[in-house]
Amino acid sequence: MPEATPAIETRDLVIRFGKFTAVDGVSFTVRRGEIFGFLGANGAGKTTTIRALCGLLAPTSGEVRVAGLDFSNGGNAIKSKVGYMSQKFTLYNDLTVAENLAFAAGLRKLDPEAAAARTRELLGFIGFDHPLGAMVRDLPGGLKQELALAAAILHDPEIIFLDEPTAGVAPAARERFWGLIGRLTDSGKTVLVTTHYMDEAEHCGRIALMRAGRLIALNTPEALKSLAFPGPMLEATTEDPRVVSELSGRPGVLSVQPYGMRWHLSLQDKTAWKSLAATLPPGLTLRHIAPSLEDVFIRLVEGGER
Amino acid sequence: MALLGIEARGLRKRLGPNQALAGASLDFSAGLLHGIIGPDGAGKTTLLRTLVGLLRSDQGEVIYTQEGRPADFAAVRPFLAYMPQQQSLYPDLSVAEHMDFFRDLYRLPAAVYRSRAEELLRITRLEKFRDRRAGELSGGMYKKLGLICALLQSPAAVLLDEPTNGVDPISRREFWELLYRLADQKILVIIATAYMDEAERCARVHLLDSGKVLASGEPRAVLRDAKVSSFEEIFLNRSDRKEIRPTDTGGTSNTAAAGVPHA
Amino acid sequence: MSLDFSPGRALAIARKEIRHILRDPFTLTLALGLPLVLVVFFGFAIDFDVRGITLVIHDSDKSRISRQFAEIFASSGYFLAVEPAPGSGVLRELDTARASGVLLIKPDFARRLIGGRTAQTQFVLDGADNTRASAILGYLPGILRAARHRLTQDGPAERITLSTRFLYNHELNTRWFVIPGLAVIVMGLLAIMLTALTVAREWENGSMELLLSTPVRPWEIILGKLAPYLILGLIGAVFIYLTARLGFGVPFRGSHLLYFLLCLLFLTASLAQGLLISVATRQQQLAMQLSIITGLLPSLLLSGFVFPIESMPVFFQYFTSILSQKWFMMISRGVFLQGSGALDLARPILGLSVIAGVLLTVAAKRFKKDLEP
Repeated sequence: MPEATPAIETRDLVIRFGKFTAVDGVSFTVRRGEIFGFLGANGAGKTTTIRALCGLLAPTSGEVRVAGLDFSNGGNAIKSKVGYMSQKFTLYNDLTVAENLAFAAGLRKLDPEAAAARTRELLGFIGFDHPLGAMVRDLPGGLKQELALAAAILHDPEIIFLDEPTAGVAPAARERFWGLIGRLTDSGKTVLVTTHYMDEAEHCGRIALMRAGRLIALNTPEALKSLAFPGPMLEATTEDPRVVSELSGRPGVLSVQPYGMRWHLSLQDKTAWKSLAATLPPGLTLRHIAPSLEDVFIRLVEGGER
Repeated sequence: MALLGIEARGLRKRLGPNQALAGASLDFSAGLLHGIIGPDGAGKTTLLRTLVGLLRSDQGEVIYTQEGRPADFAAVRPFLAYMPQQQSLYPDLSVAEHMDFFRDLYRLPAAVYRSRAEELLRITRLEKFRDRRAGELSGGMYKKLGLICALLQSPAAVLLDEPTNGVDPISRREFWELLYRLADQKILVIIATAYMDEAERCARVHLLDSGKVLASGEPRAVLRDAKVSSFEEIFLNRSDRKEIRPTDTGGTSNTAAAGVPHA
Repeated sequence: MSLDFSPGRALAIARKEIRHILRDPFTLTLALGLPLVLVVFFGFAIDFDVRGITLVIHDSDKSRISRQFAEIFASSGYFLAVEPAPGSGVLRELDTARASGVLLIKPDFARRLIGGRTAQTQFVLDGADNTRASAILGYLPGILRAARHRLTQDGPAERITLSTRFLYNHELNTRWFVIPGLAVIVMGLLAIMLTALTVAREWENGSMELLLSTPVRPWEIILGKLAPYLILGLIGAVFIYLTARLGFGVPFRGSHLLYFLLCLLFLTASLAQGLLISVATRQQQLAMQLSIITGLLPSLLLSGFVFPIESMPVFFQYFTSILSQKWFMMISRGVFLQGSGALDLARPILGLSVIAGVLLTVAAKRFKKDLEP
């Protein structure tokens, strides 16, 4: 496979279900070896797009090329090049680890010897240390997801789609999972991943932001932050919330968002900061912070219908 | 509405091979927003189910107070609202039909119901979606409908099991605004969550792991005592000590509990 | 029933259940389509063949030839000869169900045969028990042929005629007999399947957890879920009734009011059985399998639909009393074909009531009020 062809390419991708347009003219390119994040509110069209990219859904119109292949012959050519870990179903809870992996290998028609070798390799990759005869339902959530990842990449696909792989998983296990994603892309795989955890999205090389079926932004996390917040970002701390609500009316203050015990203030520019600093209400502490991806998400997605 | 407080003392509960609660003592003082923070399998769901009477603890007790005076579970039960973690609405019923159903279950008078329903629809911004079926709602809207159903009866305490899991950041923020409104009305709110950043949004946090309370108290005080800057660190440190897995299924409960024991 | 039972809450459950029904094409199709398909399908397909039919022979001639003639019937292998009831009327055996058939031989049988005249005999059948009647009807020509052949040396045996007469079901129509029974099987199976999913579904989609955290009581859920399906089941029963009357021309000799009231009673028992399955399994798949197994097999084999209860071993004659289908089988055939009234059916009505009450109570008691495993 020539390195020049991108891993994923879509042009004007449209997917309709009846009258409902789930994906509305989406175009983007994913480079090989990239961790590509897919963010958006629930129902923004992320999962639908991924299904089309995996060859599971025929596009209503537009072009999809995955690993250089298009959707002709019902997406079957694409299916052998991609691994897909879906949001809902991962593994059979009432089968053992070994049975689940054997089933995944059977689906992909791997010959038994190659499957056994590949299974060993992947169990080493995820650092699996439970007995293979353990029932999947008895495994902790994080481990189950790692195992699901192993099952999804048993056939050594070039491109891996992960739809909310860490939903409801403990923080430490989430970190481990993202470590695995990093190692996959280091070895030349391409990973397209969705998540609602904005701290995880920081790991992505580039992020596509979707709203109501459309792509509203596509860039690196850093570029998205400076795009969404060209002016300074401040964190306010106070014992008296009324002081903060008073701030939101000031000129040059773009938004005031509550963050637990603190607030995030976004300002138009340096001038606004100077005038604010000069007239700071008592009992309020401010400090400069870098905007988080959560700030970016709210800023960019807010306002449109969801 | 009477101020309601809940106190759990030494709760132990075994579910199958797992010791879901291993002697948990927590004080959910009235009128505040409490967060139960902990990873998957920490015992959050078991704890909440025990508090609302859906499970009976093997040992220990739950004490309910009304205006500071002890009260029977039967007496407070009508004022407890609970929102389960798993999907628990009827996919084929619409928003309005869900509200009708819970109105009848709680036998709310028509006038009370009307004003309450309108208010809840307005603050959850679901007014436009009255006729949409629950199965067609987005994740965030679905959770908000769940909250509406729980709040219709004007409860004195609301217990929510991971209401923001799988919800996008905007819906999550709106959801929190709703919770603050409840706390403003001196309603006891207890929320279980696996999002560490939500811990500091609570008035009181209770860190739970392997069925035990690691620490309890005002968020900043808990961080100060643990000498860390985020709640995530408390759990990460703990996971390192437990070697590889955040939760173990072998039944060897980790006795070297880190953090501050709750008094 | 607990003191804090609230009809309002039961009604809330019922209203919600009606919405589920109206939105689920599967349930509606099942409730209205299945009875029609099954009744028509089985109505045409089912036929019975029986051996060991009890037979009483009244030989008024008592000649050698008449005894030979009777012997041929008795030893044909189809019949089980029983002694005539002492001192009773000729057809008393049929009334008391001592026998399914009576062979009457007239006093001048031998004399007429030898004299070259027609010798008449008559076979009287219990037509209400169509299973046997139709079978017997099939055997008679063969036996008669054999008798004529064997008796030839005594005279022109072609002159022996055998007329048949039916008590109760005069026109002897298999379907008349099968279809009121089929109504029982189909109605029962349908009712069990309708409710078997309802509680299990709430456990599976998680709504039970929310429901249990509200003040709703088990009896309210049970009765709230029962009521809508009772209506649906009754509509199914009307469909079956119409198919039987219009499609197969089955006569209806009893009271319609009584019949449909008792349909409601039977439906209650069957729906309660489905609810109990649902409450106990809490899994839709398991509940469906169990409802088909418990709803179909015993009712086909042990309700008296195929095999007459009286011909079962004694243990089973009692055992079958726990089946609501057995009692309603007696009711359905009785009201349809014999025009039985409430007093005639006191025993089956009592049996059904006890079963319905017990099943409902057990379902409510087994209903879990918490999430304890």
